[in-house]
Amino acid sequence: MAVWRSLARLTGAAALGAFMAGSAWAQQSVTIGYTGPLSGGAALYGKNTLSGLEMAAKEINEAGGFEVAGKKHTVTVVALDDKYAPSESAVNAKRLKAQHNAPIVFVPHSGGVFALQAFNEQDGFIVGAYTSVPNATERGNRLTLRIPPSFLGYVEPFVRVQMQRFGKKLAVASADHDYAKAWVGAFVPAWKKAGGEVVAENPMSYNKDTDFYSGVSRVLASSPNVMFVGGASEPTSLVIRQARELGFQGGFAVMDQAKMDEMARAVDGFALLEGAIGVMPLVHDLRSGAETFVAKYRKLYNKDPGSEISYNYSALHAVTEAMALAGTVSDPKAIHAKLNEAFQKLTPERNPARITGVDEKGGSNAKIIVGLVEKGRIVPIEANVGQ
Amino acid sequence: MNIFFQQLLNGLTLGSVYSLVALGLTLVYGILHIPNFAHGALYMVGAYMAFFATGSLGANYWVAMAASAAAVALLAVLSERLVFHRLRHAPPLHDMIAAIGLLLFLEAVIQAVWGADFRRLPSPYPQIVRAFDLTAPAQRLMIIAAAFGLMAGLHLFLKRTILGSTIVAMAQNREGAALVGIDATRVSMLTFAISGALAAVAATLFAPINLIYPAMGHLVIMKAFVIIILGGMGSIPGAIVGAMVIGFAESFGAFYVSTDYKDIIAFALLVLILSVRPQGLFTRGVR
Repeated sequence: MAVWRSLARLTGAAALGAFMAGSAWAQQSVTIGYTGPLSGGAALYGKNTLSGLEMAAKEINEAGGFEVAGKKHTVTVVALDDKYAPSESAVNAKRLKAQHNAPIVFVPHSGGVFALQAFNEQDGFIVGAYTSVPNATERGNRLTLRIPPSFLGYVEPFVRVQMQRFGKKLAVASADHDYAKAWVGAFVPAWKKAGGEVVAENPMSYNKDTDFYSGVSRVLASSPNVMFVGGASEPTSLVIRQARELGFQGGFAVMDQAKMDEMARAVDGFALLEGAIGVMPLVHDLRSGAETFVAKYRKLYNKDPGSEISYNYSALHAVTEAMALAGTVSDPKAIHAKLNEAFQKLTPERNPARITGVDEKGGSNAKIIVGLVEKGRIVPIEANVGQ
Repeated sequence: MNIFFQQLLNGLTLGSVYSLVALGLTLVYGILHIPNFAHGALYMVGAYMAFFATGSLGANYWVAMAASAAAVALLAVLSERLVFHRLRHAPPLHDMIAAIGLLLFLEAVIQAVWGADFRRLPSPYPQIVRAFDLTAPAQRLMIIAAAFGLMAGLHLFLKRTILGSTIVAMAQNREGAALVGIDATRVSMLTFAISGALAAVAATLFAPINLIYPAMGHLVIMKAFVIIILGGMGSIPGAIVGAMVIGFAESFGAFYVSTDYKDIIAFALLVLILSVRPQGLFTRGVR
């Protein structure tokens, strides 16, 4: 059985390889690799991030491709499913490089990013890391592009606005996975530095708890002014609803993993989220580039895009731009070196998230705007420091 | 004092939901003599059925609960007829494997139809009751009332009606029950139907304060297993008391000790109780 299956796979792969080689020869196509969760619990997230890349690829190809050293190239996105498992991401990336000679592999989760960073410099491909963990670029990998800005940029406006509006007593009631811990590790010191105090620290397993009643009431017993919450959007909205039902009147600082528009869908509008500050949902972002992007995406996919889609969309446009600037589609070092310039050259409608550039470590900077829910509407607030 | 009562109320809510799920599990144990792993999937399907009835068909919450109970009861009976009945002469291991297969199958079907997204069932009573300085969402009070009502109904059915007694008789001694003329097939179908309906009602009651997604059954079924082991496999009072013990342990543990430790507290309690009473709190003549 196993022999037959692997034989079938081999012939399939060989046929695909021959096909890919054929098409590459005919049209000078560049393969862009993608590995992410396309099945299982995080499938929706994986498919969303992929749709951003595919949308960019479609635009590039419809415009007749992009020019590198006098030759036109088209883009082919090859996506492999890793079921959110870093080990599978690594296998997929190896395959994307060996079989398709992909100069860049996009991966939308920090675990996968770290797995790929173990060998990407050696194998010669760029990791297109969709994660806001600052560590993704701080560990010295020379071929990483961290697509979204580091979450550290959100901390300053969150602390400033919430402390001013609601008070100095903070309760931590966020999720307990690694990413949330990294957030707490940045948020709590910033809160204390601004003169606040932390009255309760009670992380909860957002994905494993059947009920948040006890956890939230424990936090509220120390009567905080502001609650720091966050995990996936839907459980986060349940935590917020629970706090309101228990009579909490203060504000919420919402970690960037939770998206305000998704939360509003789970609790029937913004009424319960009053006083919450979080990432600005793309559909509420009224800057010109964002608006055109949202309209285009809605037309293509018939739903609202989230920020994960726009970031990946901009990233692929920037990568092809960098290839044109570097004059090569296969030298990852040369392409990586031109990314900063490439992002700066993007037009606003191709850069809805307003990424202003990439630092020498590969981390992106963006003009960060956060959203505060006020009287049932999301009000944009600009960060004082750009990250 | 107020906070203490709040946690008491919360423990009761959790215990009520757990006990409805555990009751179905323990009843079916009397027939299959293995824990039915697919029970968590029935709970999940129950939530989706109620979601479908209120959302797509526009039914009233209570109508949706009844429809969901009926649909899941039918599904449970079908699983008995098509799977477990055919395996009645096979070794118990086969039942267990079939149950796991059923669990994966149901989850995959639900995910194929509704996708992996989180869904939500709006609460029919979103009000918050405030009395004596206590606040309680009406939905939580309703869960407690409905669960205790159902438990009382189930108790009366099993103890006071002939049909109910046949279930108890079957669980106690299969051969003996057959000898006095009890139709084993009918009793198995009835038991599966009741267990499915209980799971669906539990899911419909709990869904408005929680979320609906394909993996939602895992957590609850884990707890339900612990509960029936704690209470004694196949014991009905055991399932109720066990559920309350776990519910209160979680609620008070999370509040007074730490949210991180609440599962540790619940499971440590399991180890402690089992080391004192290895057969569970309440045991009957079932093996």
